Amino acid sequence: LFKVATECSVVLCCRVAPLQKAGIVALIKNRTDDMTLAIGDGANDVSMIQMADVGVGINGQEGGQAVMASDFSMGQFRFLVPLLLVHGHWNYQRMGYMILYNFYKNATFVLVLFWYVLYTSFTLTTAITEWSSLLYTVLYTSLPTIVVGILDKDLSKSTLLAYPKLYGSGQRNEKYNLNLFVLNMLEALWQSLVVFYIPYFAYRQSTIGMSSLGDLWALASVIVVNMQLAMDIIRWNWIIHVFVWGTIAATVICLFVIDSIWVLPGYGAIYHIMGQGLFWLLLLIIVVTAMVPHFAIKAFSEHFVPSDIQIGREIEKFEALNQVNHSEIPMRTFS
Amino acid sequence: MNSGDAAGSSSGGSGDAGAPRRASRKPKYSKFTQQELPACKPILTPKWVISVFLLVGVIFVPIGVASLLASNKVVEIVDRYDDACVPSNVTNKLAYIQNSTISKTCRRTLKVPKDMKQPIFVYYQLNNFYQNHRRYVKSRNDQQLRDASKANETTLCDPEKTRDGMAIVPCGLIAWSTFNDTYTFQHNTNNLSIDKTDISWKSDRDHKFGSDVFPKNFQKGPLIGGKTLNESIPLSEQEDLIVWMRTAALPTFRKLYGRIYVDLKENDTITVTLDNNYNTYSFDGKKSLVLSTSTWLGGKNDFLGLAYLTVGGLCFFLAFAFTLLYLIKPRKLGDNNYLSWNRNSAGH
Repeated sequence: LFKVATECSVVLCCRVAPLQKAGIVALIKNRTDDMTLAIGDGANDVSMIQMADVGVGINGQEGGQAVMASDFSMGQFRFLVPLLLVHGHWNYQRMGYMILYNFYKNATFVLVLFWYVLYTSFTLTTAITEWSSLLYTVLYTSLPTIVVGILDKDLSKSTLLAYPKLYGSGQRNEKYNLNLFVLNMLEALWQSLVVFYIPYFAYRQSTIGMSSLGDLWALASVIVVNMQLAMDIIRWNWIIHVFVWGTIAATVICLFVIDSIWVLPGYGAIYHIMGQGLFWLLLLIIVVTAMVPHFAIKAFSEHFVPSDIQIGREIEKFEALNQVNHSEIPMRTFS
Repeated sequence: MNSGDAAGSSSGGSGDAGAPRRASRKPKYSKFTQQELPACKPILTPKWVISVFLLVGVIFVPIGVASLLASNKVVEIVDRYDDACVPSNVTNKLAYIQNSTISKTCRRTLKVPKDMKQPIFVYYQLNNFYQNHRRYVKSRNDQQLRDASKANETTLCDPEKTRDGMAIVPCGLIAWSTFNDTYTFQHNTNNLSIDKTDISWKSDRDHKFGSDVFPKNFQKGPLIGGKTLNESIPLSEQEDLIVWMRTAALPTFRKLYGRIYVDLKENDTITVTLDNNYNTYSFDGKKSLVLSTSTWLGGKNDFLGLAYLTVGGLCFFLAFAFTLLYLIKPRKLGDNNYLSWNRNSAGH
């Protein structure tokens, strides 16, 4: 039965009892690693909805039981189209990117601390002031991540509905797979090396104190990590602008505040080091050098091996949308 | 998940609007909740990629050249003396340095390689000295340093906390190990005065080290780690101590000893009379004396100039490489024919 069913593109089952409906979903779910979605509107659909990975209930004629058992509920069957093609696609893209980005930003930060340990005779002195280390995840880099995860869209609603096959990018694991993860980790490694070693070589035989150098490392890490996010943001609206640039400003303010508390050993360090031309030049070269590989890889892959999503983005930007309002596959689009 | 539910509930509302004259349950439309905020959507076109690389190259190469020029203008004399200042007949260097009865005075001769304009900075440089060791860095008490009434606060200062039941001021290993070599200079047989004021940060003198805190019970133990402090001078004026307590970030570091406000000419001879007191022999550390001029970039530092030139050059190369690639394999942007399903069907 399974073999026959998977050979067909559409299978119609009629006169099916509720338990058999659930059995059909289970048949596919247990034998493949595909995601299953079940949509129904009546009480007899409840077991099917619960069996599937994603259950959608229709709130309508036959009462509310299906709705209560489901993950998503809607008013009409046709709303399934935007749910999958638009919101499902956006969620996949956002979640995939955010998970990878979170691993990356924490890895970059921790690796900078790790390289420093090699030069403290392996005692675990933190390169970056302890308060800054705490605030790194909580304040310095959390808000842009959250805002981008909520608001960023790779393609507009009309494009996604016009080209339904763009949904295939999610099915092919294009935004979250092992290769992307490894690439992310390599970028974290490179950027942590740049952030650590450029100041190291510049300040190697100088009078620099631990707190001052720690401030440079903290600020450089935060800027590099946020620049990486900025390069990957697809759609810049005013909220994202405020949060990304605002976070960098907030980091600077925090560094000033932390270094104005006399009890802490770093008292006065940021004022001292920011007065040196060397500090600003180092900040500039660290940010640029860290970003060059990411920029080059992005430029190369987006132009020479473009994914469908990339082509979709270009279509949105460069061609009048009038030409694509009628979709390739005739479907009643949700207006 | 939120957006899915929002779509679901708004759809539920509009579905009901078909029924006769009922108040619509559709939530109010707002650009934010419908995620339709106006936004700019930058895309990396060939023009942008090449311009960015060229811009970086054009900015970085001159900065690199300027930095290298500034670094070349700096004149630096570095003289390692810990090996040479131990008499050749001494085999046990550690016992020698710890013996307080032997005079440790040493004379070194330095030659000025190029004209040096004042102010000339005098530093002592230590190699292989881990001032950033975790236990060492924590071994201080900032409250005690600033406030005379908190003289008995010695938490975290182990093992230099108390001596004979009384608290040590300043406590901790950092203060205990203050560098104590001294240098006096002679320039072509004239005495050269060295200005030892204002070598520490003003913020430290004003706010971290109290002007009413005096050293007490300091270096009275069996092991002397470094400098002994004059008990009648308050901590805010003990500048060598303040400089030393700004712990260095890396195991090779310099600390400011003083400034010389005299111009030195090329081929002048500077004679240094130094007291070789500080013990770096038990851990293979090195001591050096450094005289250096400084520019807007600080001391001698070729690395920054070279780094900027390298990155600038790399960006020029990348701009060139990308231009070639764009010329060899051009692609019209936004062309539906490149979508994977269109491409595959065309390929057949």
